[in-house]
Amino acid sequence: MANNRVQLKDFLGDTGIIDLQIRLVAGSTGITREIHVGDINRPGLTLAGFYDFFAYDRIQIFGLGETAYLHQLSEPEKKEVLEKFFSYDVLCCIFTHNEEPDSLFMEYADAKGVPIFITKKDTTKFTSSLVYLLNEAFAPSVTLHGTFVDVYGIGVLLMGKSGVGKSECALELVERGHRFIADDVVILKRIDESILMGSGAPMLKHHMEIRGLGIINVKDIFGIRSVRDRKRVELVVILEEWEQGKEYDRLGLEDQTHAILDIDVPSIMVPVRPGRNIPIIVETAALNQRLKKQGIFTARELDRNIRESLKRENKEE
Amino acid sequence: MIERDVIVKGDAGVHARPAMMLVKEAMKYPCQVMLIKDDVEADCKSIMSVLGLAIVSGSRLIIRADGEGDAQAVNSIVSMIEHNFKPHEESAEKN
Repeated sequence: MANNRVQLKDFLGDTGIIDLQIRLVAGSTGITREIHVGDINRPGLTLAGFYDFFAYDRIQIFGLGETAYLHQLSEPEKKEVLEKFFSYDVLCCIFTHNEEPDSLFMEYADAKGVPIFITKKDTTKFTSSLVYLLNEAFAPSVTLHGTFVDVYGIGVLLMGKSGVGKSECALELVERGHRFIADDVVILKRIDESILMGSGAPMLKHHMEIRGLGIINVKDIFGIRSVRDRKRVELVVILEEWEQGKEYDRLGLEDQTHAILDIDVPSIMVPVRPGRNIPIIVETAALNQRLKKQGIFTARELDRNIRESLKRENKEE
Repeated sequence: MIERDVIVKGDAGVHARPAMMLVKEAMKYPCQVMLIKDDVEADCKSIMSVLGLAIVSGSRLIIRADGEGDAQAVNSIVSMIEHNFKPHEESAEKN
């Protein structure tokens, strides 16, 4: 499990997923603070004086309501409210609708080192974007040994022992116009109960080791269209040395799955032996997976047709 | 299963060449060899995994091996890191 340490500054600027469009206006000394809880809080009730259950360790969102409330307070009242509010170890405050807090608020924030951000977005849109980013940052994650490729829009995770030919298979797939995501080290995150997102280690971005060649950069060799940074995992292909006498799936009637972070990902086992064209099998498996997503199960349909025609013949006899 | 921890010395950390030496050493043994840094595990027999750990000088590493020859594997890798990826005689002279 990777450790989920997220700093406030990680959300500044373009995160690569969503640009929150926030800018820092005060409390810059607290920018390296860590977010420990992936939740947010609207401090309306707190500002009005109800401090029970005040989740000060979460990101505080000041919408139009909170800002308006602070505005209508008289100076002594405001001082009292802010004194109490900032007596807690508040994580940070974000003002939506481009509303700027007044100078007193900024003074308290600077003194306490509580970062204050402003965003142009409205509260609902901003909150949903922020929650998405937080969910992703705090998602359970695991690092697996495998190779990850986007084949016809299906994220295919190739797994199997070292030397079985995962990287070579990915290289051939890239050559055929598919996109490479990660080799050897694949970081998987469960960003939703059913969504598994895969990416490579930041250090190794788009690099691959091919025995006999050494380390190559797929993006430099094949160009920008041959790579992508992340992709949902929708199919696991397990490559295995062909064993004489072992039973392999011949029909595809049963759906196999491979559990990763408690998500059952559809999987197939492909036996490898010299002369077998693995990339074309992976391509076909990806297309077959797309058919299955649309409710078309070839083996089952063929089976049904055969049963019906047998039934008819039986009646005719 | 054998496990030992070691601190990486030297200035450059585990860059390409030391990573390759670790992989070559691990490949000599049939057992599984893992490097663990900050709870992240990496297969010591895979160059990309080792590089992906981003092992800087001063990192604390756990070397874990399981299977045939695990004790020798862990000892030789720990010794390699302790000698800062130099042949033993050479580093002994310098000390």
